[in-house]
Amino acid sequence: MHGLFKWSSKWWPGVIPLVILWGLAAWSSTAKVEGDLAVRANAALKDTVLDKRRISVDGRDVTFAANAFSEGGRSSAVTSVEAVSGVRLVNDETRLVAEAKPYVWSAERDVVRVTLGGNSPLPSSKGKLMEAAKASLGGVEVVDQMGLARGAPPRFDAAALLLLDQIGKLKDGKITLTGTQVNLAGMARDLGGREAIAAALKNLPEGYSVAANDIEAPPYVFQAYKDPVAVTLTLTGYVPDNNVHAALVAAAGRKFFSEKVVDNLKASVGAPSGFAAAVVPALGALSRLSTGTLVVSDREVKLSGDALYDAAAGQIRGGLGKDFPQGWQYKAEISVKPASAPVDPTVCQQLFSEILSKGKIRFESGKSEIVADSAGLLDRLIETAMRCPSATIEIAGHTDSDGDEAANQTLSEKRAQAVMDDLVRAGLPPDRFIPVGYGSTQPIAGNDTEDGKAQNRRIEFVVK
Amino acid sequence: MAALATFFWGWLLGALLLGFCMGWIAVVHRAQGVSKVWMRWLALLAAALVAASLTKVVPGRFGYWLDLFLMMFALYLFGCAIGSWLRDWVVSRSKPAS
Repeated sequence: MHGLFKWSSKWWPGVIPLVILWGLAAWSSTAKVEGDLAVRANAALKDTVLDKRRISVDGRDVTFAANAFSEGGRSSAVTSVEAVSGVRLVNDETRLVAEAKPYVWSAERDVVRVTLGGNSPLPSSKGKLMEAAKASLGGVEVVDQMGLARGAPPRFDAAALLLLDQIGKLKDGKITLTGTQVNLAGMARDLGGREAIAAALKNLPEGYSVAANDIEAPPYVFQAYKDPVAVTLTLTGYVPDNNVHAALVAAAGRKFFSEKVVDNLKASVGAPSGFAAAVVPALGALSRLSTGTLVVSDREVKLSGDALYDAAAGQIRGGLGKDFPQGWQYKAEISVKPASAPVDPTVCQQLFSEILSKGKIRFESGKSEIVADSAGLLDRLIETAMRCPSATIEIAGHTDSDGDEAANQTLSEKRAQAVMDDLVRAGLPPDRFIPVGYGSTQPIAGNDTEDGKAQNRRIEFVVK
Repeated sequence: MAALATFFWGWLLGALLLGFCMGWIAVVHRAQGVSKVWMRWLALLAAALVAASLTKVVPGRFGYWLDLFLMMFALYLFGCAIGSWLRDWVVSRSKPAS
């Protein structure tokens, strides 16, 4: 042992190469050690949920900064880093994520994008909300402006996901979750969207409630356009159900005797009450116009176009509103079509025949009252009669052979008279018309079939 | 420490071999040895460095370099001791033969 002490006094020359060796080791290893420790420290935190994690290594000292979502999570993260072998010291710069009070989350939709804002409790729930938004909104841009904060109410994710589903049903608007209170404002995308949202909100998780639901429904729009050039009636917009749909199309077919009905209607809930009762007479008024547009928006009916003659314009302006159910409004912008050039009696006869070949004047069964559906046809006949002011016209009523001959004779006379009264009310002089009833004496088809009988029940205009 | 040893065994082995060689030479070397007073001061310095290392008062890279030096130095001293002892053993065995 004494020898060892004696020899040790001569070991010093080796310290010089040792220092050189140390210098080389330090120079070549420092970056490697730091890199290795950083990788292993990050790996140790792989399964720990942290926000804004930052790890920097200086020698073997690790500076660890992060925002944790609970005190337990924070201390276990620090312990994990301390446990990484080779780490000498951990400079703990971790903090807890701030607590939000009140806890607010929002989803806002405008024309081009959906913006998610407010707070989210964890990065995972934030990611889940973003994914759900992208999935449910299709191609709409989703902007993430959510921050992270503690203090979310229980079942926050479920509530926020349900509300995100509702943002897809909005055209624009905002849904805000404040604590457990839900506020909704905006415009529903489709008819029925408001009702669908209200129904879905009943499934909010326990403890959550709706503070205010100010979602508005888009107007319930029905449109009809009579195009005299294409000879079509185009129906667009919404009807309450398939029954009303069929009834409206059938009514249009009866009222528009020469136009082809183009049906682009869709069934949707949300119709104002009395929809069919208002739209059917409005279509009748449209049928009397030469060209025109009918727009029904919620409970407002707007009719614009050209009437065939002055008296018709007056009747349409004043008459329609009376037929409407309570609470409906009627606006008419009716002008009068310029009068067509006069024609000679022969052409007039051709025009009458042409019109009556496309449609027939209809009466109540067994009576002489003209049904409302024939108003458009009558207006066309009146307009034609106005074009040949010098002609005298026989209005001939015919019936089928059913029933008593005398009764048929009387009925045909009354019906011819009723048509004449209509022409006179339109401003035509009564002395130009001769109402004649022929009963069933002049059939144009066999009375042995229903079709033949229907053809025989008719009014004819004969220019004398 | 164990992780570092596995990571840098090459450098540490170098320090050990260097110590072994120095210890081997020291037995028959005729150079002037370090005086006792100096030895005490150097031992004190070494103890201070070890204390600084254990208490981790030297921060960051300097702390790492200090640890690395002390490890290499410890192995160097160990190598020296082994070398000197072996050389002494070899020399004492060969003397009776001559």
